[in-house]
Amino acid sequence: MHSIGNDIVDLNLAKVESNWQRKGFLEKQFTKTEQEEIHTSEDPFFKVWLFWSMKEAAYKCYTQSVKKRFFAPKQFECSLLSWNQGVVVFKEIKFYTSSSFDVLYLHTIASEAQKEIKLFSSVLATEELNRAVKERLAALTGIAAEEIEKRKTEVGAPLFYHKKKRLTKACSLSHHGIYGAYLFCLQN
Amino acid sequence: MTKEEIISKLTTLVKPYVQNEEGFKNMNEDTDFINDLEINSANLVDIILDVEDEFKVEIDNDSMEKMLSVKATVLVIQEKMNA
Repeated sequence: MHSIGNDIVDLNLAKVESNWQRKGFLEKQFTKTEQEEIHTSEDPFFKVWLFWSMKEAAYKCYTQSVKKRFFAPKQFECSLLSWNQGVVVFKEIKFYTSSSFDVLYLHTIASEAQKEIKLFSSVLATEELNRAVKERLAALTGIAAEEIEKRKTEVGAPLFYHKKKRLTKACSLSHHGIYGAYLFCLQN
Repeated sequence: MTKEEIISKLTTLVKPYVQNEEGFKNMNEDTDFINDLEINSANLVDIILDVEDEFKVEIDNDSMEKMLSVKATVLVIQEKMNA
């Protein structure tokens, strides 16, 4: 299976839900290099959540194929290649990330493959997430949205089906605060 | 400190991060922080920092990796307190 992952951060919620300046907060989750980048950044708050969403998206990507759950954010080492493109390295596996954001949210998608695969992704209101995926799939495949069904893989990753036919090769859903986000690629 | 005492302290400590009240009411040894209490993964580190303060222990990265459930967290706390 091709692994992909995405992570959405509701920035207003992140402000009240977490205190990144709390003693130990950065040290437990970010590498020395990441911490330096955060401290020297013009907007440390944003940098914290940018790195965090990169780590989460990469973790979700990794756990789509590996049946294992763990909390080791520091082992997912982030580096930025440009203002929104990055690489996250975990146990010598590289995950390529791309982030988009505005003042309200931050969204990162991660993919293990560097080669171009067509990915479909969007950010919307959290309660609209499942419906939005079905509608997007309906538009892409010509199948009625009501006939599309969400199921889960053995490791708990979501997949969308029409009867016995699998529509998504891989799919990742993320929620935080008022936002939901999806990322999927089509089954050929 | 007994397992029950640790769980009781842990219950107070995770409360501010809980998003599923039903799961919290039924919190027990088998409770998973993310699946059952719907705690945001970004708050897991707060729980770890709170555990360090409350139990006066230091949680290393290897131990932190396992702390996704009540059971695993209790084991880590016991191990660190007896170290």
